[in-house]
Amino acid sequence: MKKAKPCSIKEAAQQCGIAPELILRFISFEWISPADAVSQDLDEEDLARARLISELQHEFGVNDESVSIILNLLDQLHRTRLQLKMTQSRP
Amino acid sequence: MLKDPYQVLGVSKTATQDEIKNAYRNLAKKHHPDLNPGNKTAEAKFKDLSLAYERVGTAEERSKFDRGETDEQQQQRAQQAHTRYHETQQDGGRYSYSYGGDENADLFENLFRSSGRGPFGRAGDRPGEDHLYQMSVDFKDAVLGAEREITLPSGKRLQVKIPPGVETGSKLRFKSQGGPATGKGAPGDAYVEITVRTHDQFKRVGKDIESEVPVSFIEALLGGEIPVQTIDGSVMLKVPPGVNSGSKLRVKGKGVAGGESRGDQIVNLKVMMPKKGDPSLPGLEEAAREWGKKYSYNPREAP
Repeated sequence: MKKAKPCSIKEAAQQCGIAPELILRFISFEWISPADAVSQDLDEEDLARARLISELQHEFGVNDESVSIILNLLDQLHRTRLQLKMTQSRP
Repeated sequence: MLKDPYQVLGVSKTATQDEIKNAYRNLAKKHHPDLNPGNKTAEAKFKDLSLAYERVGTAEERSKFDRGETDEQQQQRAQQAHTRYHETQQDGGRYSYSYGGDENADLFENLFRSSGRGPFGRAGDRPGEDHLYQMSVDFKDAVLGAEREITLPSGKRLQVKIPPGVETGSKLRFKSQGGPATGKGAPGDAYVEITVRTHDQFKRVGKDIESEVPVSFIEALLGGEIPVQTIDGSVMLKVPPGVNSGSKLRVKGKGVAGGESRGDQIVNLKVMMPKKGDPSLPGLEEAAREWGKKYSYNPREAP
């Protein structure tokens, strides 16, 4: 997968088609933690996550508390998939 | 041939816009690729759904579709989706790695440990999660050490002491700066993972810093003193007579700091001829021709 360069919150908002305030809100809820903690620049991973959250909220009507739970479970799911992959690739 | 959108959405051709919207929402929730990572069937189904909804989701598009007009671009638009979140995680993303769960803890235990914002935040005394943050530092700061301030997502500021000699991938630990505990548990720790930015002039090799410095062929032949950039600023370097491209000179104590002693800077020399059109060239060529009549040397011969 190609890696895009990290971009500012403003650019990120534009790319995701959502308001910058919304991204700041996602960050304050710790749903997103910017790739660069100093400049708060967001990378591809952050962008995709922001897009997913926005989709969950605006298309599927998921509320704030449920977003926390969904993200938590998703993080666990991805981590578990990763562990499974590593276990399987071990000789 | 495109699938019939009404069939894909499972509604009748006379369904209301609201019925279509609800049908789409319900199916999309079920088949969303990020909620079914790695499931190709769900992904394909979601694509069909998106396309179907795009064609009959609004009254305007729907009447076009019902009249038999087709929009070729619609399908293309549906294909040109952004990177999906699960795609960023399949080979291990930051979020999957930084997930603060204990490897052996079971799923619900981790869920209960979530930052306390969820409805389950009150389950007894539990330690807070560890949080992982990323920070990129300049090459010079990584070599010599520095102090920087970062702002955590919570708004809290953290003074980060970058130790001299830090390398990409190093994690700095901040005790009790992670997620809050529930009840009487201990708060989690914050970790800051360092990424060192590359430098266009310097390259780190262990404790040493390598750089390339051009010299004229006269300096290479006769030796001399040349200015060389180090991470601490410019220094004068003595070049012995008779060096070549690839000759290495050592500048003591200008390498990576930290540990017991500082590394060195290794200067790779690169011998450069005068540029094309340089006014010195004609005379130089003339002199070389004269010299070549009397002497020769073959650098390809075995020594």
